[in-house]
Amino acid sequence: MQKQYDHLARLRRSLFAELVCDLAGVVLLGWFIGNFAGQLKYLVPAIALDVYAIALVVAVARQSTVLGAVDLGGAVLCVQQRLQKLRLLRIRTTLGTLLFAPLMWLPLLIVGARGVFGIDVYAAGVAWLAANVLFGLAVIPIAVFFARRYGSRLQQSSALRLLADEIAGRSLMAALRDLQQVRDFAA
Amino acid sequence: MDGGTAEREFVERLERHRGLLVKVAAAYCREDEQREDLIQDIVVQLWSSRKRFDGRVKFSTWMYRVALNVAISAYRRKANQAAALDLGFSAVESLAAPVAVPDPEREVLFDRIDRLDPLHRALLLLYLEERSYAEIGEILGISESNVGTKIARIKQRLRHEIAAAPIV
Repeated sequence: MQKQYDHLARLRRSLFAELVCDLAGVVLLGWFIGNFAGQLKYLVPAIALDVYAIALVVAVARQSTVLGAVDLGGAVLCVQQRLQKLRLLRIRTTLGTLLFAPLMWLPLLIVGARGVFGIDVYAAGVAWLAANVLFGLAVIPIAVFFARRYGSRLQQSSALRLLADEIAGRSLMAALRDLQQVRDFAA
Repeated sequence: MDGGTAEREFVERLERHRGLLVKVAAAYCREDEQREDLIQDIVVQLWSSRKRFDGRVKFSTWMYRVALNVAISAYRRKANQAAALDLGFSAVESLAAPVAVPDPEREVLFDRIDRLDPLHRALLLLYLEERSYAEIGEILGISESNVGTKIARIKQRLRHEIAAAPIV
């Protein structure tokens, strides 16, 4: 029963799982960078991915710090301010992750193919690589367009609807509005 | 005091203040099922947070804080999912004296209360519960004078809106 109702505990578990995954990514990328330090064509995409992974670790750590300071037995205004900040932080992290992920597609392909299968993706040619970069760039506006245009037609509580709301920026707007409401009450 | 005794005592204290949970849930949920879910949610959080209760505030104050924090968070979560979870005037009505005959003016009042944001609802709930300004301030985390100012503003706003609203 507790599992179903305790939202904060669920969030705590989710943040822990995210942190473990992100740290594992940083470690693996560190290993890759160490092995391919002399080859610029692998080093550059690996560093880009590593920076992305480190940014995710920092974002999750910040959320964990805010969550750790939440004591539901504290004064309502203070707790609500913290919860709204946490919500804003989570939405911004998700939004950042989703919007940067398509750009990370090519570095991930290059590093993943070399690190896991020993395949040199550069051998596929410049045109193929350029097509992948364009694909990554095109995904972002297309995703935003579909999320804004058709997101509201999805079932209200579905995970897809929540994702569409985050990509379209609707969740961010709602979180900012709620935070402002709390600040107005404090004034 | 051993763990078992402490836990039994905690449950007894929860039982003594159960009415408080019902009122908070009623202030934020219209449907019976949602109210039950919210009460269960609050009880789980009270239980999880019991070791953090250090006795610096009264037990009922601490319970109000946890209950309102959980209720407001649940309300925002549901509201953001566009679910029909809002303060029905029937909910606030349960805090006040029962009305035998439908009163249009009263319905307008409750309709306006429905439109208050969750924090102002909490303030109004505590005021209708006849809590002192000092205790309301302690629960919400604002000064006693701020409580007085906000209550006066809410009253004034409701008075204006009710005066402006056409009575059907």
